[in-house]
Amino acid sequence: MAQLFAPGADALLRLAILSGAALIAGGAVVVAGIARSDYVTGVGIAPAQPVPFSHKHHSGELGIDCRYCHTTVETQATAGLPPTQTCMTCHSQIWTGSDMLKPVRDSYASGEPVRWVRLNKLPQYVSYNHSVHVTKGIGCSTCHGDVTTMQMTFRANAFEMQFCLDCHRAPERWVRMPDQVWNMNWTPPADQATLGPQLVAKNHIHGGDRLLECGICHR
Amino acid sequence: MAGAVLTPDTPTRPGGTARAVSDAALHDPLGRRWWIAFAAASGLLALFFGVILYLLFTGVGIWNNNNAVVWALDIASYDWWIGIACGSLTLAGILRLAGGTEGSVLGRGAISRLAEANALLCTIAAGLYPIIHLGRPWFFYWNLPYPNTLGLWPQFRSPLVWDAIDIVSFLVVTVSLWYIGLLPDLATLRDRAFAEAQSERAGRPRRWPMLKAQAYGVAAAGWRGSASHWQVWAQAYRIVALLGILLVVSLQTGASVMLAGSVLPGWHDTILPVTFLVNAVFSGVAVTAALTMLVRALYRLDAVVTLRHAEILARILLGLGLASLYGHTAELVSGFLHGDAYARATLVRRFAGPQAWAAWTVLTCALLPVHLFWWARLRRSPGALALVGCLVAVGAYADHVMVLVVTLSHDFLPAAALDYRVGLWGIATFAGSVGMFLVLLLLFLRALPVASITDLRRQAGLGDGSARAGAEADAPEPGAGTPLWGVSAEFATQADLAAALRALARRHPQHDDQPRRGNTIRLDAFGPVPMPDALKGLGRHNRSILPYALGAALAGGAAFYGMCVYATAYGYVLDVGGRPRFSWPSFVVPSVSFAMMSGTLAVHAVFLFVNRLPRLNHPAFNIPGFGRAMQDRYFLAAEARGPDFDAARIARQLAALPEGAGRPLAIARVPR
Repeated sequence: MAQLFAPGADALLRLAILSGAALIAGGAVVVAGIARSDYVTGVGIAPAQPVPFSHKHHSGELGIDCRYCHTTVETQATAGLPPTQTCMTCHSQIWTGSDMLKPVRDSYASGEPVRWVRLNKLPQYVSYNHSVHVTKGIGCSTCHGDVTTMQMTFRANAFEMQFCLDCHRAPERWVRMPDQVWNMNWTPPADQATLGPQLVAKNHIHGGDRLLECGICHR
Repeated sequence: MAGAVLTPDTPTRPGGTARAVSDAALHDPLGRRWWIAFAAASGLLALFFGVILYLLFTGVGIWNNNNAVVWALDIASYDWWIGIACGSLTLAGILRLAGGTEGSVLGRGAISRLAEANALLCTIAAGLYPIIHLGRPWFFYWNLPYPNTLGLWPQFRSPLVWDAIDIVSFLVVTVSLWYIGLLPDLATLRDRAFAEAQSERAGRPRRWPMLKAQAYGVAAAGWRGSASHWQVWAQAYRIVALLGILLVVSLQTGASVMLAGSVLPGWHDTILPVTFLVNAVFSGVAVTAALTMLVRALYRLDAVVTLRHAEILARILLGLGLASLYGHTAELVSGFLHGDAYARATLVRRFAGPQAWAAWTVLTCALLPVHLFWWARLRRSPGALALVGCLVAVGAYADHVMVLVVTLSHDFLPAAALDYRVGLWGIATFAGSVGMFLVLLLLFLRALPVASITDLRRQAGLGDGSARAGAEADAPEPGAGTPLWGVSAEFATQADLAAALRALARRHPQHDDQPRRGNTIRLDAFGPVPMPDALKGLGRHNRSILPYALGAALAGGAAFYGMCVYATAYGYVLDVGGRPRFSWPSFVVPSVSFAMMSGTLAVHAVFLFVNRLPRLNHPAFNIPGFGRAMQDRYFLAAEARGPDFDAARIARQLAALPEGAGRPLAIARVPR
């Protein structure tokens, strides 16, 4: 009987099997990589805004407090976007003729709000409350990054469920003293290991169990 | 006629008995009827895809599922398919394990192959249901443990996860059992197709016949019918059969425990795990019996599937029917004697509620008809067997509907009671899955042997050396410049082969795979059936792959259990109704299923590694007339190892053996 397959057939078969295996394994890695990429999560991507507002200039260099514009962050679920009137408190006096600020003046004249491009979105099935996080010692920069260095604002963290759970599982690693909540350069102090649990107890944060219930976010 | 085919003197074509045996299994009498059936089945399959498309756009509400009856025809259909698959797998596994490595009373041949194929096809038909019954089917992979951006583990206490692990394991095991059984048959198909491609008349294109032969060749993974191939093959077959039976027990008792994990009435009797198992095996054996009788009639396999086989199947069905009757009765009796009010009300509603048709169908289709088999005449009637088999399948479906819907449609609170009516879309989905089953069944019937050629050969007595010598064309000796692979000898019987092997092994004590000093030859034997005598001659009869399978199954099960414990108690602590962090009983079902899958995968890996397969091009195929090693001849190969190999001396030693005790029909030098 003759050979049905040429001598090279085995090499081809092994190549095909290995390629198939590599394709499956590589495909999984590629898909996982794409799902975590900035392209999908939007991290670090600053979209064009109707007015090129700079957090770096206003908050970083001029030192305007977060709460000057985001007024409801300590009292409501949403931090609040400033109305045009807030902009105009200053810009009716300075840079009044700037071309860059024309959309703001138009908005003020017409009463139509400026349509900012939203950066930090949560799905509709996630219930999130700014006030409870801020008043119990979670600082702005933990989620939003150091906004005071952002010329054009971008999303600092992919708000995937893992991001939320990391903190909900161990809030003592992130909780701050009340005066540090607004500190955009905060890093855990040397005594965080002792300070954290104290703050958690003082603020009645039930980490680990209560904070991990599905219904705490998915109501 | 197959009845004549198996007697040794009838065939006149070259290849003799063995050729006729494989013809019996490959005979395709359906012709145009196959195409008509295939068109109809394809229509149903198209309906299936249409329904799924509509389902994806609309949601599970199209099945009339509602807030109370969250599981209806979707889960009933899934349970029905997987139940039949479990029963077929159990039957196939028991056929494989019964009667030792040599033939068995039941005559495996067709019943075994059809049971294996039925198990696989039903699993595939069932396989889509766990995905499409989800609210968001496109996230089905959330059920599996993988590194995800949610920071979550699957909830291993949840039956939904058990189902995902079960169905994957079940698919792996059924595919394995079917493929292992098919492997030598694929080699036979390969050699037939190759012979046909080579004998095509000049002028006709030979491309497609060659491609067909090569497709079978790749599927056969380079099977050469060597003594060690057969040895590991037989072990692998039996081990996977055993793992499959254990998986069936895990899956069916697990299905019952899943229901018992809820608080709903009617799902908590302690006999239910056994009843589920019995009912599944009952329905699977019934469908396999009906399918076997249908194929027997269409393919005229009267000699392969005899009335004795029909009688044994009928007796098994009667026994299972009695066990099923006992299970149902015990549930009723214990429910009424000491069940609580809600359990009793559920039992009453089964017979008097809006779904009472289901209970009465169970009684009239599943429980009563098998009692026809108390009469010997009906036990030997293929028609009665096919009819009862189909009725039991109908009854089994009604049973699943009854168990699920009656409980769900009315639990503890009157406010939570919602009626359920079978809807058109539910029926269409089920009909579509039947279409998928039929399409695959028809493809299987057309492309692959309906009966195991290997088993038929063994039954025809090829294993014990009754094949006759035939005229053999002299093969051209390789030229002087061709490198030599070894010396081959051809035998008509395994006894001759074994005698020659013993003689050569005595003269060359070092003849195995190990490259050591003085090892100038490596002996091997090739044949169409397992060759225990030849293995003894080679001194390899004590090898076993069982430790690897056992080790892999235990390690896989332990690893999965460990993962469940880690995830639930440490990695992802979630308070579900106050259940403890270490909810150990919840992890048993998926761990056992995973263990069976690990064992099966290890069997495959060891089988391939021990035999150095797949190997498509091998010098053994250069042996003159080697195609008949897949039919009725036995070959010995003395492979050259090292420069001291003396082909002429080995040929002399072989030729000097006495007639009837090792003298070969032909001796050849085989080029590399």
